[in-house]
Amino acid sequence: MAITKNATLVLNAESGRRIQLTEALSTITKDLSLEDISDNLRAYGPWVRELNYVNQHITVPEEDIDAAAAAYTDVAKHLIRELGWSDELIEVIPQGSARTQTLIRSPGRDKFDIDAVCQVDISHVDVVNPVGFFNKIGDGLQRYSATAKKRCWNINYAGKPFYLEFTPSVPLETVPEDTLASMAPKYLPSKEYLSTALAVVDSPTEKWKTSNPAGFSSWVNDTAQRQLIQYLLMKADSFLEAAGITPVPDQDIEITDTLRLSIRLFKRHRDMCIHRSIIDKEYKPISVIIVTLLTACYAGLADLDRSYTHPMQLLADLAELLPGMVDVIDGEYHVDNPTVPGENFAERWNGDGGKRHDAFQIWCDTLAGDIRIILAINDEQEIRREVRRIFGCNHETVSPSGPGGSGLTPKTRRPPPAVPKTSGLA
Amino acid sequence: MSLDLSSIQKDFPCLILNPKKRERGATAYRLQLPELPWGREFAWAELLLPRGFPEHETASIILSPDAVLRVPHVEITGALCIEGDPGPGQGHTAEERIHLLLLAYHDQFLQPWLAGKLDEDFSKESLNYWTIAVSQKRSNRDPVCAVWTVDECPNQPNVMEGLLLLPGRLVVANNGKQAITNRVIQSLGSKAKQRIRVLVADIPISHTFTPSTWPSNNADFERLLNGRLSKPQREQFRRPPRLHGRGVHRIVLLRNLMCGFAYLLPGGPPTIVEYGAQKRSFPSLSKPLPLSVTRVDPSWTVGRDQHPVVTQRLSQHVLVFGAGALGSPVVDHLAKAGIGFITLVDPENMETTNIGRHLLGAESLDRPKAEAVAERVNLGHPATLVTAKKMSAERWLRENSLTNFDLILDMTGESDVRWYLDQARLQHSCPLLIGWMEPYVAAAHVCMLPAGATWMQGFTDPMKNLQAITWPDEVIQLEPGCSSRFQSYTAAAAAHAIALVAEQSLKLLEHSVIESQIISWVRGQRYLDEHWEGLKLREWALKAQSQDGIIIERLFP
Repeated sequence: MAITKNATLVLNAESGRRIQLTEALSTITKDLSLEDISDNLRAYGPWVRELNYVNQHITVPEEDIDAAAAAYTDVAKHLIRELGWSDELIEVIPQGSARTQTLIRSPGRDKFDIDAVCQVDISHVDVVNPVGFFNKIGDGLQRYSATAKKRCWNINYAGKPFYLEFTPSVPLETVPEDTLASMAPKYLPSKEYLSTALAVVDSPTEKWKTSNPAGFSSWVNDTAQRQLIQYLLMKADSFLEAAGITPVPDQDIEITDTLRLSIRLFKRHRDMCIHRSIIDKEYKPISVIIVTLLTACYAGLADLDRSYTHPMQLLADLAELLPGMVDVIDGEYHVDNPTVPGENFAERWNGDGGKRHDAFQIWCDTLAGDIRIILAINDEQEIRREVRRIFGCNHETVSPSGPGGSGLTPKTRRPPPAVPKTSGLA
Repeated sequence: MSLDLSSIQKDFPCLILNPKKRERGATAYRLQLPELPWGREFAWAELLLPRGFPEHETASIILSPDAVLRVPHVEITGALCIEGDPGPGQGHTAEERIHLLLLAYHDQFLQPWLAGKLDEDFSKESLNYWTIAVSQKRSNRDPVCAVWTVDECPNQPNVMEGLLLLPGRLVVANNGKQAITNRVIQSLGSKAKQRIRVLVADIPISHTFTPSTWPSNNADFERLLNGRLSKPQREQFRRPPRLHGRGVHRIVLLRNLMCGFAYLLPGGPPTIVEYGAQKRSFPSLSKPLPLSVTRVDPSWTVGRDQHPVVTQRLSQHVLVFGAGALGSPVVDHLAKAGIGFITLVDPENMETTNIGRHLLGAESLDRPKAEAVAERVNLGHPATLVTAKKMSAERWLRENSLTNFDLILDMTGESDVRWYLDQARLQHSCPLLIGWMEPYVAAAHVCMLPAGATWMQGFTDPMKNLQAITWPDEVIQLEPGCSSRFQSYTAAAAAHAIALVAEQSLKLLEHSVIESQIISWVRGQRYLDEHWEGLKLREWALKAQSQDGIIIERLFP
């Protein structure tokens, strides 16, 4: 069987790996029989508990997601009214992390972003050129004080924890032949993902550019379904129960969904590195690169029929192999978009004197170093402190009812009225 | 003081009625805490009633020392910063004030803290918490107390030299800005008797630090420096050349436009501390020492980062003739506005009659005005370099050219100077601003002439025609006058004229003027009558008559 591109990248990454985190893991289970599933699960319990806690901590609160969803629905409705195009011709759908369940809460007061594509069937509307189309959408968003970015319109909401990024797009199949012909040749759509391919406007070149957020999300979601854990039949609940965690039914991502969990945890780790000034925000590894590299690594491991006895082992391997997954072709860094051949997410790495690549390496080293630190600890309390410190989850919270059950809540909610001082002669 | 705390306890069961004595005669009552979740624990909280409560003092909530820098809104003393006790004079009884305080403690602090609603508050006032961190580690053996920066935050990390100034224990991170550094050092006077070279890693940060993100140990710095410095920078910073066989102090400066954090790293030379006549040597620190960062760069000191024009002003050069009652404070204003270079020309010495309305005071008597003004302004405003020339304007113009000046200010009020200036400007065209005051500062005028426009109208000096009042001969206008009878005015009255000249000078430096203009400050009839009987405003100035004073703009005829 021909070896896949991702498998080749994994093999290269394995040969060039600088550290062996899985060695640390093997010491954890060295006194255990690996065949004994429950022993194995218990041995990893403290780490699973804490990473699970971090995963919950970085989940964007549902009310914020709902508010963001309501905001973009509102914008979509407004756009439909403003543009005067028929309802059937325009569709607004989320993309990016919102679609791959890898949206996470930012540390500090940073906002999270909701990416949405505003998809218009231009075969039935009067669109002169890509820039005209882009600006028309922008005109429709005037009420929101939207600002133009390279391929999208940014809407910032004062006082809200999120901002929206609206990307005007057209389904590729609706693009007329002559328009297709005018597209930059390096960004022609991949046949594999043609059904979801879009054309978006690339403002700097004033041309259409292929994009495929839905295809990209499918690739991540499909890859995440591939099973790399030996105990295929074991449910996520078993891992959590063995770790002493009550499964949360509506929790989106569990420890066994190791790809998406690692994307979420690693993105959070990247954010913390920026907040700690270990890497420069300007040169940070962007999320799409992290997602692409991790998904390619996961897919490559699956292609190579690798299997793991515990998600922690897989998570450690993903951290370890991550830096080696960047392809280097003719001295240029490549992180290829699997849904748009020719699109290199790491294009900017090749024109900045190595700054972005260096920042990526530093982050990967820090990540691997932190995982090594965590795995070297035996004491449960210490694991808790260190995991939460590293991922910036410094405090637990109590339920909204608070310490009401302690009997210490004030009995009266009413402050005494202020009595104006007078001479008494009023 | 007799307080009925038992009634309060009925509303607040957490209040434990067991008084404890505290420092300076205060009384404290513990507040029972609910079960605090992981990461939110602190040992205790108490209600503190200082001596003098309720008459003069306010009650407060104090948290245990372990809450400092772990719980937001807690000061270094443990005092909780909440709006609680409204204080005396608001019409509340002492019990009501305690009630309000406990309610605020519960509603503004305890509940939100437990619900995670205060978690991001550290980043809102990060420098306050940094000040606490610095204070906690402070000792008199510290080799360095603070870092002063003289330039704006760099875009990229940089390793540079700095100067440790002793005995002030201040480091000036100069980044090659030698001129301003020297002036800052000069301003520090006796605090900067000795200068020692240090190494500074100057690293821009995108987010402000909080207690949970600022680096705190050697391993944190290892990572940070590894991540942010290039390999040559790391080499340079980790192995600095030894100075006279001694190590070199290394400082990490982490900053952005809004905030700055600095640390002294271990591994520097020992610190010598003087105890009277004795000296003791202390070895280098074992842990990084947090340091406060103070910005003295002009963008901050001049414009608080809100006036981008400051950057332009720093490179501008203004020539000022006259360091008198008008010229000297105008020079001070220009320096405060961030003008980089001022050449000040004046031939006279400071006299007692000047004191009441001059920038200088009695300490400068008999000194050349230009030199004393330059010295004073240079000391106070390191962004500006004032160069003094004790000579007449005529001589200066004979010996120098007007090239490289962005603006000339004539504050002499002398017609000869105006004529000489016109001649010199024929050789080198340069904008000119002529400022003068009429007697008693009943009016003041600023004439702005763009490059190429002359003051003299043929052989006539137009000054008298431009004035707001036709002055009787008895009012002596020109100096030197008849000494004791020379008309007097207050510094407060002159302040209007000074402000007018300074403001128009800055406008002229920022936006070049196309047409010659004259802007006048004119006082009303009541002011004139208070100073000399029968004074009348000229027709163009009559609109000021019923006012205390107004500004009138005209085109230069």
